[in-house]
Amino acid sequence: MSWRMWALKKSVWVFHVNLGACNNCDIEIVNLLTPRYDVERFGIKLVGSPRHADALLVTGVGTRQAIIRFRQVYSQTPKPCVVFLMGACACGTGIFHAGYHVEGPIDKILREMDPNAIIAYVPGCPPKPEAMISGVVKTLSAI
Amino acid sequence: MNQQELKDRLAEIKDKLIDIQQPLDDRIFLSCEAENAYAINKFLFEEVPLRFVITTGIDSDSCYEILYHYAYDQIGYIITLKAFIRDRENPSIESIAPFLPGAEWIEREIHDLLGIEFRNHPNMRRLILADDWPEGVYPLRKETRQ
Amino acid sequence: MIEVFQNLFWILIFPGFVFTLVVGLLASWIVRKVSALVQWRVGPPLCQPFYDVLKLLGKEILIPQDAQRAVFVSAPLVGMAGVLLLSTMLWRITITQSAFVGDIIVAIYLMVLPSLALILGSSASASPHAAIGTSREMKLVLGYELPLVLAFIVVVIKSGGQLSLAAIAQQTPVLSISGFLAFFISLLCIQAKLGFVPFDIAESETEVASGIIIEYSGALLAVWKIMQALMLVALPLFLVMVFLGGFGTAGRPLVWGIGKYVLVLVVLILIKNTNPRVRIDQAMKFFWVYCGLLLAIAVILATFGNYYGISWL
Repeated sequence: MSWRMWALKKSVWVFHVNLGACNNCDIEIVNLLTPRYDVERFGIKLVGSPRHADALLVTGVGTRQAIIRFRQVYSQTPKPCVVFLMGACACGTGIFHAGYHVEGPIDKILREMDPNAIIAYVPGCPPKPEAMISGVVKTLSAI
Repeated sequence: MNQQELKDRLAEIKDKLIDIQQPLDDRIFLSCEAENAYAINKFLFEEVPLRFVITTGIDSDSCYEILYHYAYDQIGYIITLKAFIRDRENPSIESIAPFLPGAEWIEREIHDLLGIEFRNHPNMRRLILADDWPEGVYPLRKETRQ
Repeated sequence: MIEVFQNLFWILIFPGFVFTLVVGLLASWIVRKVSALVQWRVGPPLCQPFYDVLKLLGKEILIPQDAQRAVFVSAPLVGMAGVLLLSTMLWRITITQSAFVGDIIVAIYLMVLPSLALILGSSASASPHAAIGTSREMKLVLGYELPLVLAFIVVVIKSGGQLSLAAIAQQTPVLSISGFLAFFISLLCIQAKLGFVPFDIAESETEVASGIIIEYSGALLAVWKIMQALMLVALPLFLVMVFLGGFGTAGRPLVWGIGKYVLVLVVLILIKNTNPRVRIDQAMKFFWVYCGLLLAIAVILATFGNYYGISWL
């Protein structure tokens, strides 16, 4: 495996993107990054700009307004990068599938933008921080 | 004011109302037609006076209803004014934002979602629908389907 | 000819780029590990900063469309070169005792280069967040440069007007009142130069989304991180040489010197972990009014001490 992916697995810098979520998943993500769960052991760090990020933590169902901005955020994230879809809404629109404001499941739009995108699904409503850590670790060992 | 004085104050505009109901101890419902809503709101906000909480828009099958919720905190009462808009083709009501700036945004939201026109609104612009949402499509109306 | 290769070896391998980079990344691991222990958690493994730099070198570089490409790309390299030169010079003075008159002034000038490079790089970024970061960094540099130079002037006065680092490093100014004041204030100025809390106003993640380096990605961001790691070696070493009595080369003085360096580093980390971030106007008032007053007192005490020969003033 190339040294790029090996280094990526050892040090993952995350950026949090909210595409129209109810904020439950966002609260759990912020919980995850506190000293109690200590994700710095895995090399995970929260960064303030998508240009510094290796992984996007995406929550929310993907509303029409948000998808426009998500395309820009994804294109500004330097490749190689991983997209983690956190929560039932991000994994496949959840209970809002018939909503008038829903643009579509995020992974479908992501595949149209970039067929080689690496996408990981962490279901739950909201997923517990332990579930998120498990999802991230499993994804990183499977790349 | 205690509750009896409050009810006496509310009875002063009885001629503009359809009826007054009190289904629970601390809940009063006043009903009126849409034409009288502006004057009643002005009375409730300025004369009584009550604290404005929020406005609700409902699409009942025969008419539209706009509910104005007020609170009287000294005794913990919530007073709601129901205004019936009978015209379903071009629903329209007088905006209360000129004397109650706090209602400006909620009226914009009701206009976005239900298509009710608020006359004399100081700043009617799109609030919560997406920028590229088509004009004239109001998502929360009963006849709108995906 | 041999000398050219020798100088290249000094600059690139030991004690230049490779050596300082390794020590710098180890120092940044110490920073993260001590911060973790203070927060009752485990913290990253030893090689984590190396993995970070390696990963950044492997990502693509995105340059904004409106950015000034020449300045944008060259600013981090200039900053890194400045700190590298400073570090090589300081190590060489320590190891071979080959100081020259006025080298402390050269060191002060070289210490400004990383801050200047940050300002240039972020102002070439064509982003409003970066513009806020630029103005804050400029004000911060205006704030702490004055007390920093004054603190070094205190040491020069105490040593009787000598401008050579080898002579200054022989004595221990921190054991006197004016020297202790100057050391303490220069520690806070170094905290601001390294971009540590409470003075990380320019790169404040929660306010301006890493304002000053927001547009950098990939290998250019790696150069900024390398520059920060090199600064973690050069600046505390400079403080050790000026205030704490130098860095030995063999035997007990060497162990003593490493202990002094780690002490300065740990004090910086503890200040970093126990303080909130300050606003830029609070920072400038702090540096100009309070630090300036304390240093004025220190300069007066040092002048008296030097004139009358009292060494503890």
